[in-house]
Amino acid sequence: MATVLRTLVDPRSPQYAANRAAFLEALAELDALYGRLTAGGGTGDAERDARTVARHRARGKLLPRERIDLLLDRGSPFLELSPLAGWGTDDAVGAGLVTGIGRVSGVECVISANDPTVKGGSQSPITVSKALRAMEIARANRLPLVSLTESGGADLTKQADVFNPGGASFKNLSRLSAAGIPTITLVFGSSTAGGAYVPGMSDYVVLQKDAARVYLGGPPLVKMAIDEDADDETLGGAEMHARTSGLADYLAVDEPDALRIGRDIVAHLNWRKAGPGPALSPREPVYDPEELLGIASADIRVPFEAREVLARILDASEFDEFKPLYGSTLVTGWGHINGFPVGILANNGILFSEEAHKGAQFIQLCNRMDVPILFCQNITGFMVGTRYEQGGIIKDGAKLINAVSNCGVPMITLMMGASYGAGNYGMAGRAYDPRFIFSWPNHRIAVMGPKQLAGVLTIVARQKTEAAGQEWDEEAFAPIRDAFEQQVESESTALYATGRIWDDGIIDPRDTRTVMTLALSAVHSAPVEGAERFGVFRM
Amino acid sequence: MTATTSRTPIRRIFIANRGEIARRVIRTAHDLGISTVAVHSDADADAPYVAEADRAVLLPGTSSTDTYLDAAKVIAAALASGADAMHPGYGFLSENPAFARAVVEAGLTWIGPTPESIEAMALKVQAKRIAAEAGVPLVPGAELPEGMDEVSLVAACARVGYPLLVKASAGGGGRGMRVVDRPEDLLESLASARREASSAFGDDTVFVERYLAGARHVEVQVFGDRHGGVVHLFERECSIQRRHQKVIEEAPSPGVTDAIRKRLHASAVSLARSIGYVGAGTVEFMVFGEGDAQEHFFLEMNTRLQVEHPVTEMITGIDLVAWQIAVAQGDPLPLRQEQLGVSGHAIEARLYAEDPAHDHAPAIGVIHRFRVPDRAGLRVDSGVVDGSVITPHYDPMLAKVIAHAESRDAAAAVLADGLARMEIHGPVNNRDALVAIVRTPAFLAGDTTTAFLDAHPEVTVPPVDDADLTRHATAAAAAVLDDDRHDRGVPVGWRNVPGPLPSVVLARRGTSDATAVPVGPDAVLRDRSDDGWRVRVTHGGVSADCRVARYGSEVFVDDGLCSSAWTVAPRFPDHAGGSAGHGAVTPVPGTITAVLVEAGQAVAAGDVLVVLEAMKMEHRIHAEADGTVSRVLVSAGQSVDAHALVVEFDEADA
Repeated sequence: MATVLRTLVDPRSPQYAANRAAFLEALAELDALYGRLTAGGGTGDAERDARTVARHRARGKLLPRERIDLLLDRGSPFLELSPLAGWGTDDAVGAGLVTGIGRVSGVECVISANDPTVKGGSQSPITVSKALRAMEIARANRLPLVSLTESGGADLTKQADVFNPGGASFKNLSRLSAAGIPTITLVFGSSTAGGAYVPGMSDYVVLQKDAARVYLGGPPLVKMAIDEDADDETLGGAEMHARTSGLADYLAVDEPDALRIGRDIVAHLNWRKAGPGPALSPREPVYDPEELLGIASADIRVPFEAREVLARILDASEFDEFKPLYGSTLVTGWGHINGFPVGILANNGILFSEEAHKGAQFIQLCNRMDVPILFCQNITGFMVGTRYEQGGIIKDGAKLINAVSNCGVPMITLMMGASYGAGNYGMAGRAYDPRFIFSWPNHRIAVMGPKQLAGVLTIVARQKTEAAGQEWDEEAFAPIRDAFEQQVESESTALYATGRIWDDGIIDPRDTRTVMTLALSAVHSAPVEGAERFGVFRM
Repeated sequence: MTATTSRTPIRRIFIANRGEIARRVIRTAHDLGISTVAVHSDADADAPYVAEADRAVLLPGTSSTDTYLDAAKVIAAALASGADAMHPGYGFLSENPAFARAVVEAGLTWIGPTPESIEAMALKVQAKRIAAEAGVPLVPGAELPEGMDEVSLVAACARVGYPLLVKASAGGGGRGMRVVDRPEDLLESLASARREASSAFGDDTVFVERYLAGARHVEVQVFGDRHGGVVHLFERECSIQRRHQKVIEEAPSPGVTDAIRKRLHASAVSLARSIGYVGAGTVEFMVFGEGDAQEHFFLEMNTRLQVEHPVTEMITGIDLVAWQIAVAQGDPLPLRQEQLGVSGHAIEARLYAEDPAHDHAPAIGVIHRFRVPDRAGLRVDSGVVDGSVITPHYDPMLAKVIAHAESRDAAAAVLADGLARMEIHGPVNNRDALVAIVRTPAFLAGDTTTAFLDAHPEVTVPPVDDADLTRHATAAAAAVLDDDRHDRGVPVGWRNVPGPLPSVVLARRGTSDATAVPVGPDAVLRDRSDDGWRVRVTHGGVSADCRVARYGSEVFVDDGLCSSAWTVAPRFPDHAGGSAGHGAVTPVPGTITAVLVEAGQAVAAGDVLVVLEAMKMEHRIHAEADGTVSRVLVSAGQSVDAHALVVEFDEADA
């Protein structure tokens, strides 16, 4: 019998109020970033961006999210992936590309749409990473991929960084197709040179009349190369490709028509999800998810009770806890999210040997029963010290990492706090290929906490100084240590991580259930099957 | 029972009719332990009355002429079904003396007056002579016998005086009827009335009488038996009419003086007695003037059960169909005049599938839902159920809604409320107009004359409160969004990167401007079931629980106080269809009876291009602007759909 979790949260406590205030501030910052993102233009200079967008609209063109809205079913959710990719880099926030998961003609698809108002839709290295991540999500979850293409091609100022990784996108299109995952490309404008292979490698191609331009070499290049005079339309117009080259399967009258055709193509794919789908009817949690803002610690050094989080994301707040009396800093058990069964590993403190054993066993059980796993990370790492090293913490941590590394059922990771050190690995961090990773705004990620890291650096520097027979000047080193701590702090924020696509996006904690539902639904597009074999568990 | 007539008990009634009246007869017959047989055309195979009757006979075909009006086929069907009696209902063959005679000759009991009575009253001109002989006052009028020359015709009409009314001698139900305001319009109106009369009744004889503008239409229910008994069951007032067809009927009349009331009853009984009337009949009068100056004039006698008979039933507590059966069996009238009394007031509204905004053009389509509130004092005689189809072949009446209460005001309140709370998900109808009529101060004051709708044009398409419309639009959009999604447990249109609110492009029925209706937190989906959605929408601080039902692109919203219908606009333009032609289109499906223009002809705005007959009404399709006809796409006799292009114009002239 599943137990309804109980709560000890006091919404009137100062701690609760402080957490909530800090979260609301962080969410407001996100909203401001999203506002600039959806406005288009991408330079951050509001006036300049507005002019760019106005020019785009004057040509009768839609913004990428408007194209997506028309492509999607009415009322469909759209889970945008890596929306703030490029944050903190010299590339535009969002990277001139919109990717995400939504429903088209009843089918969950990955959609990837260039934003032609951002540097003409050209591709920077971060654009390529974002596109490749979306393709990986399409591949791993068996989601049809719909590309809404209008791109000036590689950002030539960064061609050296784009050329090699960019080539993978064409390979991926071909491999998706080979894996039986449909690829559909709608072209609204330029898709030239290498970009021509996006339609070229797709299963279905729709070109918009008098707008799509698809060629390997444009008029100037052709003139240079073979001294031929040819215009855009003759070289790569939609009509030409629909009637002569056969590259276009469908010719669209205008943008809405192209999107309509795209919807029709998806409708006749005869697509069926391979996973079993939800096991139960959805039930709302007993406790209000709004309270998550007061529960999760805005200051990552303050621990919080993981079960209070689970009580606000699981159906009916029901949680079937596994090994509740053993390895108490790792909470394990089963519940449902909008009817999808899910196994959960949630940190309630530092990992010891018992927790590693418990986690490894639990992951194996979930693989036996073909149940996806949700990792809720708030981890500062594995325990260190003589007692634990002698107790075999490395072997035990290795068991957990072994189980995660070879896990066959889909893993989804929620960064609800800290993610430091090998704890990140044992809890399905980025390198362990979870199907999705989403972060709360309080999330911090690094090899270890900035203070600890700076402290370690200080000790090492002191030892080095003293070994050289010099006198250690604690005061003189203080500014260096503080600067380093600052640097680590700024490199471990949720925004820094999401800007580098270490996750799939920062989410409002109150949306966690919704995001997890969409993620679980997406993973059920592929078969949900546990692994039969793991690596050798060191005993 | 006297020795002069033998009693013929009825065991199985064949009902030579369809729709609500067939259901009405079935109900009483079954109550009396009499079995029933329905007759139906191909188009009516799924009608509820066919299922409710014990047996049914199909007459192949769809047109009335091939089916319900074919006397020989109807009688053969009755004989084949083992029926021993024939109830004709109203309309169709009910006032056809030849049919009545043939029924009797076939050995069936005819539930109606004798063929002789029908014949005597059938031709209005003759009926008037008989009425005059019985001492009943007549409206000034003139007969226009065939071959009358134009000069004497004009002179005869001038003697009657304008405005005058042209009527078909063989007609009824407003067909072939024309009001002529000015002498210069006389000849055209006569011609058109003759054309319609000829097509509807096979007889183009017409007559004229003074048009009593502002008069009341009051009629008296009479009943006679085969033993010489005649009683009246008081009067009904049916003044509120559109296109000369009754819309609201009530009993007793709110607008006649007691003196006139007595004279009306006496006149009706006197006329019925003078022709030895047997069964249910109605003597119709015009009542003109007020107070002591009030006068009544004989209009006509209907030798059948009237559509509006329920109001009489409600105030007298008598089942008129049961009386018809009793009298037809040879029984004496169950009650004597002095045993009859009036209790309270009853008002009936006729619910039609028609478009009040477009001159009450009949509408067709599926009635997805027809739900009536269950409340004391409300009676609904309907011909339709959920899923019924309104075809262009027959009368588009959906139901009669009757309210009965202690007082006229109370009955009007029950009627208006009952109508407003009905859920009618189907073609455009006159419900809102009916509600508006019975709620106008003029109606409540009893100021009901035949000119009511002309005097109160605002009731035809009553305005809807903007806040209500906003709530309904939002509820409709919320339901459509919910319907189209699959992701249970996830908010509709959810985004992690905020964008515009999800919206649905909707057009209110009857308007062409589709607008994007956003759905925000002011709309809360409360419930979803097989019935549809319940959406609580708050607007201006006031919320309403809107019930929404969707049938493809049609969405209906009911909130108890008002209802609305919406069309979900296609999300994408249809490029395959090409642009629609430029020209005149048919308002309703029907048959082209005349084409008055040819290609190359110049026409002026308002010129009649094509005449269309549909639902027994003549529709003229006019040129909307001056122009030159480039192409005529139809010919006389051709059947056309609604909105079919009939005449194209040169673009250059547009």
